[in-house]
Amino acid sequence: MRFLLRRLGFYLIAFWACITLNFFLPRLMPGDPVSRMFAQVQTQMRPDQIAALRQLFGLTDKPVWQQYFDYIGNIFQGNMGISLSRFPTPVSSVISSEIGWTLLLGATSLIIAVVLGNLLGIIAAWRRGRFLDSVFPPLLVFVGSFPYFWLAMAALYLFGIVLGWFPLNHAFTDGVEPSFSFSYVADVANHLVLPALTIVLVSIGGWMLGMRNTMIATTAEDYITMARAKGLRSGRIMFHYAARNAMLPSITSFGMSLGFVVGGALLTETVFAYPGIGYQLLNSVQALDYPLTQGIFLTITTAVLAANFLVDIIYVRLDPRVRVS
Amino acid sequence: MPKNKRSTSLSILAASAVLGAMALTGCGGGHTANVGKTSDGILRIPREDTATFTSNFNPFSPTALPMTDQAVFEPLLIVNPMTGKAVPWLGKSWTVDPDGKGVTFTLRSDVKWSDGQPMTATDVVSTFTLAKKIQGGYSYLSKVSAVNPTTVRFDFSKAYSPGLYEIGAQVIVPEHVWSKVSDPAKFTNANPVGTGPYTKVSHFQTQSYELDKNPNYWQPQKQQISGIEMLAFAGNSGANLAFENGDVDWSDQFIPSIQKSYVAKDPAHRKFWYPTTGGTIQWQLNTTKAPFNDVNVRKALSMAVDRNQVATLGESGYTHPADCTGLTDGYASWKDASIVNSCDWTKLNVAEANKMLDAAGYPRGANGIRTLKSGKPFAFSISVGSASSDWISVAQVIAKNMQAIGVQLTVSSPDWSQVVDGYSKGTFDTGIVWTNDATTPYEFYRGEMSQDSVVPVGTPANEDYHRFGDAQATTLLNQMAATSDPAAQKTIVNELQARFNATAPAISLFPSPVWGAYSEQNFTGWPTAADPYATLSARSSTTTLVLTSLKPVK
Repeated sequence: MRFLLRRLGFYLIAFWACITLNFFLPRLMPGDPVSRMFAQVQTQMRPDQIAALRQLFGLTDKPVWQQYFDYIGNIFQGNMGISLSRFPTPVSSVISSEIGWTLLLGATSLIIAVVLGNLLGIIAAWRRGRFLDSVFPPLLVFVGSFPYFWLAMAALYLFGIVLGWFPLNHAFTDGVEPSFSFSYVADVANHLVLPALTIVLVSIGGWMLGMRNTMIATTAEDYITMARAKGLRSGRIMFHYAARNAMLPSITSFGMSLGFVVGGALLTETVFAYPGIGYQLLNSVQALDYPLTQGIFLTITTAVLAANFLVDIIYVRLDPRVRVS
Repeated sequence: MPKNKRSTSLSILAASAVLGAMALTGCGGGHTANVGKTSDGILRIPREDTATFTSNFNPFSPTALPMTDQAVFEPLLIVNPMTGKAVPWLGKSWTVDPDGKGVTFTLRSDVKWSDGQPMTATDVVSTFTLAKKIQGGYSYLSKVSAVNPTTVRFDFSKAYSPGLYEIGAQVIVPEHVWSKVSDPAKFTNANPVGTGPYTKVSHFQTQSYELDKNPNYWQPQKQQISGIEMLAFAGNSGANLAFENGDVDWSDQFIPSIQKSYVAKDPAHRKFWYPTTGGTIQWQLNTTKAPFNDVNVRKALSMAVDRNQVATLGESGYTHPADCTGLTDGYASWKDASIVNSCDWTKLNVAEANKMLDAAGYPRGANGIRTLKSGKPFAFSISVGSASSDWISVAQVIAKNMQAIGVQLTVSSPDWSQVVDGYSKGTFDTGIVWTNDATTPYEFYRGEMSQDSVVPVGTPANEDYHRFGDAQATTLLNQMAATSDPAAQKTIVNELQARFNATAPAISLFPSPVWGAYSEQNFTGWPTAADPYATLSARSSTTTLVLTSLKPVK
């Protein structure tokens, strides 16, 4: 319990550091949102509208420290302000309209990659030098080192255009009303295949290699020899003795990756026109939309910290050594 | 005259430029595209600059959703930049005071809001009150009053005849709805009430939404499309892919090698039209800095620019060199042919450019670089935003051209906001800049050479970044604002062109093309070069004309 409280204290300090950086970083960028918007639409805006727009956006000349305290105060009231690039939509509604698809895509592909990658790693290490071990790691590393957008475009071209098996874009067929019917869920799943598959393809190699390597180290431990000597079933030794101990680094990486899922998958969203938060983050940074940028970073920060805290708790459960120290 | 920007501007990161190329090469293969879906009468249009939509049909918001000003709300008049003619819309007719100090609009009496209530002069008056309050602008507008239910009177505080087109382009909102809104600036207007042809929002989702017919539209015979569906895409590559695959009917983002990647797959139905009627793109020289205050230097530099190369390398050959009037092709009817034919400083002539610089007192040094009067080398930078890859190529071509006249030009391409900051405060050397583009050339020339638009270095400018003012041009511009007589305006614009030709305020490079492509698979009646009733832009005021002209294929 003391361990968890200490961790909690650490996370609070980390959170404060993050939101402070979050506040200052966007403001260090050159320019201001209105001139950015003006440059973007060029002649669509009349020059005499700029002053009014500044006022509308509430871009005040308040001292920075005062803005900072307002910002901290607002965060604790759950008020993230109004987006400038999507004025007058509140930041929270912009994020909530997109986060669902981001979580669906990110979590699906992450879980598939982790489960499959770790399983492959466990088996490869257990049967070292056999087919699985000699073919899969180099193959997956090869695939994983392709530039992601190239792989995604190739998959889209092959499966979407030439073969026509999967839809080219969006999260479900346009114009269909979301419902809990089988046809809608199937439609969403069908649209999810290509984006998720490509993410899994490029990320699975890392999971497999990581697991394989720790697993090999574990299999050399004395307690594995002991287990064999006791005559335990091979499968039991593999999963309950070797894999359970080799799993710890993977759990840490999983926690980190889980947190970053909410940041969205920019390139996937671009190639497959999948709705999500990644492209929004890019746009908001480019538009100097401070409130939205801060809102998205805050969401990511919170998610990463929460995921890590969760991993800490799981660690306590998995690794008795943590409990004792 | 709003128009779409070159799609490579700003909102795209470098990676997606590569992606665009991938999409192109990936889809240039030998297969036949899946041409068109079974027609359900819905017009599908992609938007390449957003991955998701959030509801906002507030026409006063700078970030209103696509089609808010085109399909939901309508203006008093629509100016077709292809012909320069104004098409009466909610306003049946109008008269400008001879001294340019006011406008009177007569409204159509048969227009109803989509909720069935009639549109009257009160709506127009309250719209302008809101617009002034929320958006600003209209500084010349002193009073808007409803003379009777179908007549609105606009009084100006000074002579300003171009105000007609600004007022005419303002979309009108219903007073009975907006008067009940407590904070109109922050109103997202999820269920808009408008006079436009397609006002009913349906199937609103993050990735797409549909606008269905207004049941009370005043031109029911022109509602041939059963609805409009807008689709969100994170970047050009996705939108282009959907278009090339036949999933959408109309697309106005930039498509590289469109003939090969799009038209060639179904030449019978697929067409594109890139008229060069967008604003003129210029290379502006900061005239507060020597030697750019010297007209002969400006002209010499201009003569060293190979505009054909600029158009071919920088703009994929979709445009052509600008002439010495500076005017885009959208002002073709205003151009003075005698001036256009006598242009010299906008034609490539390296020998003459060298001669002029020698004569102006900028001798070449030992290393081939000229020396300024201050003794420093003739070297400066050309600014352009990092996101506009096409304009960066333009800047590079110019930098190369300058070597031939002993001028050292370095391309500086930081982020656009930094570039605009330099333009606005007048700290830049030279840069690639867009120009004002409105119904008449008045706004263009005001931004080029009016003394009234020049502000000191350090004070943010919103136009005339190069800070050039000419007394004669200022007088001409004031005269133009004070007359509503077309013949008199024409004479003044001719004189302005002569003045531009004489003073060379900035170096015009090319008129920007207005991108647009479509498929006749599902709809016919598109604007074409032969029937230019509008441009193919899906985000300008003439879009309303296209929406009310298209007919579904039976």
